[in-house]
Amino acid sequence: MAEQDSSKALIPPSATTDTFSRRRVITTAATGAALMALGAPAVHAQTKTIRFLNAEPGRESVRALRVAAAEYEKQTGVKVVVDTVPPDDAYSKLQASLSSGTPYDIGTLAFAGHMLILAEAGKLVPMTKLIEKSKWGPRILFPVKGEHYWYPYDYNFCWMYYRKDLYQQKGLKVPTTFEQMAENCKALTEGGKFGVGHPLGANSATQWMSIGYLWADGLKMLDDNFKLLIDNADMKPRMIRYLDFMKKLQPSMPPGMTQALFGTVLAQYSGGQIAHAPYAGRLMEVLEDRAPDLAGKTGFFMYPDSAGKAQAVNHAADGWVLLNTPMRDEAYKFMEWFTERHYINFLHSAPLHFQPPRLDVYEDARWRAHPLIEKHAELVEFMRGILSSKDVIIRSIDTEGPRIDLRPGKMFETFAISEAIQNRLLKDMPAAEAVDIMAKKYRAVL
Amino acid sequence: MKRIRTFSDRALLLAFVAGVSTTLLLILVPVLDAVRLSLYQAESFISAQTWVGLANYTRILSDPTFWHAFGIGLLFAITTIAAQVVLGVLFALLLDQPFPGRPVVRGITVLPYLLPTVVVTVIFQWLLDGGLGLFTVWAEHIGLGRPAWFENPTSAMLILIVVSVWTWTPFVTVCFLAAMQTVPKSLYEAARVDGASAWMRFWHITIPMLAPMLTVTVLLRSIWMFNKFDVVWLLTKGGPLSATEHLPVLAYRRAFSQFDVGGGATVATLSFLVLTVLIAVYFHYFPLEEKEEKS
Repeated sequence: MAEQDSSKALIPPSATTDTFSRRRVITTAATGAALMALGAPAVHAQTKTIRFLNAEPGRESVRALRVAAAEYEKQTGVKVVVDTVPPDDAYSKLQASLSSGTPYDIGTLAFAGHMLILAEAGKLVPMTKLIEKSKWGPRILFPVKGEHYWYPYDYNFCWMYYRKDLYQQKGLKVPTTFEQMAENCKALTEGGKFGVGHPLGANSATQWMSIGYLWADGLKMLDDNFKLLIDNADMKPRMIRYLDFMKKLQPSMPPGMTQALFGTVLAQYSGGQIAHAPYAGRLMEVLEDRAPDLAGKTGFFMYPDSAGKAQAVNHAADGWVLLNTPMRDEAYKFMEWFTERHYINFLHSAPLHFQPPRLDVYEDARWRAHPLIEKHAELVEFMRGILSSKDVIIRSIDTEGPRIDLRPGKMFETFAISEAIQNRLLKDMPAAEAVDIMAKKYRAVL
Repeated sequence: MKRIRTFSDRALLLAFVAGVSTTLLLILVPVLDAVRLSLYQAESFISAQTWVGLANYTRILSDPTFWHAFGIGLLFAITTIAAQVVLGVLFALLLDQPFPGRPVVRGITVLPYLLPTVVVTVIFQWLLDGGLGLFTVWAEHIGLGRPAWFENPTSAMLILIVVSVWTWTPFVTVCFLAAMQTVPKSLYEAARVDGASAWMRFWHITIPMLAPMLTVTVLLRSIWMFNKFDVVWLLTKGGPLSATEHLPVLAYRRAFSQFDVGGGATVATLSFLVLTVLIAVYFHYFPLEEKEEKS
């Protein structure tokens, strides 16, 4: 009893009397809730908000977008909220936002097929006029029925890097054929170090980093009617040559490459474990950050073919899309402003990795003034040469065929080519048989 | 029938209704939506959906990939459950014996279960890394070369089983250890007086007394292991060459990667049905005996 009394004494008298009755609490809470409900739309009406889904999680990229958003809000009063997700989650997140009735106004996509699905479902707003303001490089715009629904910011080409110092020590030359590449890798495999790191798993990393040789060797997967070509009399020998070449390359790779992803290869090369690595400009940025001594010892070349006649890069693409939301006009205005004022700032957030698809950028003094772009002028010219040279083959599985279509996208997602590599390398299956299995898988989704 | 009179009764009823409503909203609605989606063809969750009836079921059931994934799922579930139960009972028996530092050892035993799955998989990925992994280096030191742990279908599956058993055996251990505390000590003493050996005491007293707990534990572990997605996805993503691709991974791939939402929903629905049948069969052979209410 005494305890009860003493605790009661700590509470102010007003709280213990019927002035703090249940009825009063309910009335107060209801009034507050009603005021909040009435007040909320008024607040929304005062501030226009654009929701931007970013899929470039790098610290500098997020910062570049936030700086742009803050400046835009200061100038126009329109708030731009930037949410960031990993690239692989962007499409799922966009779909979820659409399904839940709270769609983003601007999204980032890394797969042209996803853009096609959204455009065909009427979820996107065309940016054709905005696109037509600039000149663009090859195979980066994917119009849908004459309209442009995405604004690209990165080519994501993949080529080969190599250790110039090790080449010099061993007296090697930059390879121009499969055979030379295999021999070089073999020569550089010793004492726990390996010649090359090509991902071999059933994943995007493998299909971005390990199949460039195929394009160099003239492989075409689909004809102009989206009919599969890979097992016909012309293409099958190319596939077989490639799989046999990968088999020859296998002893020069570190164990565990079926588990390797993008970061694995970056770590292997920057850690000095492998002498060749497939990648885009990110690898040089990583070297500058983690192993600056290796940056000066690193050279680059495109994927060679089997006969020394052609070279290729594999490509992917990243771009922004505008969603068909009530804020679409405001979002369009923001994109117009952003691509004019902050496009280069954004590209500078990964200066060597974000390869500009907009050709005017290469001549822009602001872009060229970035220290890493200045320092690696040779690499930048190499990258630019990919766009201007007619001898370089630029291809990727998901953009095969005469125009953007979901069928090559489905082919990409079956990972049948990764499985063909695994069948040849892990099961020692004859290459011809592995090609037949792959063709069957592709036909199932076409 | 009791009438709801007191504040406590009303609070309980409210909690019950809230629980059931949440379950309906967060579980039943998505399940029903998945069943609905399995009757449609759609390339994404926002694309136009075309009614195809049972065509997805015909397609999936005639696809060898489904049956392969089903077999992989059964293999994974059965081996991991068997190992977890056997080891779990064994550890529970050991931890039930008096020895110095027992409370500390009991605490440590539970640790793997407390670790987030992502942490566990990252630890094992590092241990088994082809270049720098501790196990890889040890294997090389004892003359086994550098094993390509994840490149061989058999070793990849074995790794999944080992990781799963390592992580979830403590759950079984804790359940059995708790249940063992409810077995009257007098039974053991009487058996000991009658000359029963340790094995006979275990077989004729411990196991029968733990039978209800065993039934429930095996049931729970079966459901969890058959539907286990995180470990498989994080460690192997179903590879190499689909050697570890079970039904949850297949459903995910189809719905979220391969532009086949209807197919993915069908795999998920079939997986649900298969599990329901397996549970029914299990209860048929191992019924849970309800205790009669004392009057």
